[in-house]
Amino acid sequence: MTDWPFVLAGWGVILGGAGAYTLLLLRRLRNARQASLAIRRAADEPAPRERE
Amino acid sequence: MKTRILGAVALLAVIAAAVNALLIVPADLNQGDAQRIMYVHVPSAWLGYLSFGVTALAGIGYLWRRDLRLDAVAVSAAEIGVMFTAFAIWGGMMWGKPVWGVYWQWEDPRLTTTALLLALYVGYLLFRRLTDDPARRAARAAVVGIIAAIDIPIVHFSVEWWRGLHQRATFGSPDKLLNPAAPAQFVIALVAMVVAFTLAWAWLMIRRYQLARIEWQIEEHGRLGRISAARRAAVAPQAPAAQAPAEEAAP
Repeated sequence: MTDWPFVLAGWGVILGGAGAYTLLLLRRLRNARQASLAIRRAADEPAPRERE
Repeated sequence: MKTRILGAVALLAVIAAAVNALLIVPADLNQGDAQRIMYVHVPSAWLGYLSFGVTALAGIGYLWRRDLRLDAVAVSAAEIGVMFTAFAIWGGMMWGKPVWGVYWQWEDPRLTTTALLLALYVGYLLFRRLTDDPARRAARAAVVGIIAAIDIPIVHFSVEWWRGLHQRATFGSPDKLLNPAAPAQFVIALVAMVVAFTLAWAWLMIRRYQLARIEWQIEEHGRLGRISAARRAAVAPQAPAAQAPAEEAAP
């Protein structure tokens, strides 16, 4: 039973770390998609007329 | 949709393999429960190798084809590989303390070369930040990724070439894989975890690749914006100078 703290620390950091990385990756992906969409929308808008 | 299905399958596989490894498979006679750490340590180490191998192959592909999609594959694999190599080192340390009596020993070739591998690919990720020109960055990173991959066989065969604390390779040869020394229940649990982790790796790779492609598009848009702004700025100072005499002449 004395080895269980090591087992839990090993598994906890690995599975917890992988889970945290996954959530962070999905957040980065969502933010990047929003930024990309904003750029595309801005590009689709008609260009403002130049001042005369 | 297919990626979502892969993600769900990977998650279920990891949960099932983890329940089996932690609660169903009996403790090892000699190592006790500490041996259960091997079920996450070995897959993490395998995925570190796989990731850095993919980075090197994608780097070779980039230098050959000059296709930035291959650079996106390379950076995705490197980032995920750094994570899994760090996990392998952590798992090894947590196993090492109860079994060897130490968390770490610098004299051990496997441990030291693995730490070097991690440092090399952290360096690879940092090196990519030195330039914002995508083609130049991809070419330089490809060379670094290929050179760093030389350490992969050194890590793997270090336990055969030099003496240290670390035991010999788990999957050292096809014969060892087909006729394992450990009981079937232990081997099945380990293989199940390797398969589950590899499925999760594939899903992470797809998502990280998608991110790399979008980041590249945003970066390219920003770069083009800066170039056109610089061109406008180069033309702009001439306009007030041309208008100045007209303003002075006005009453």
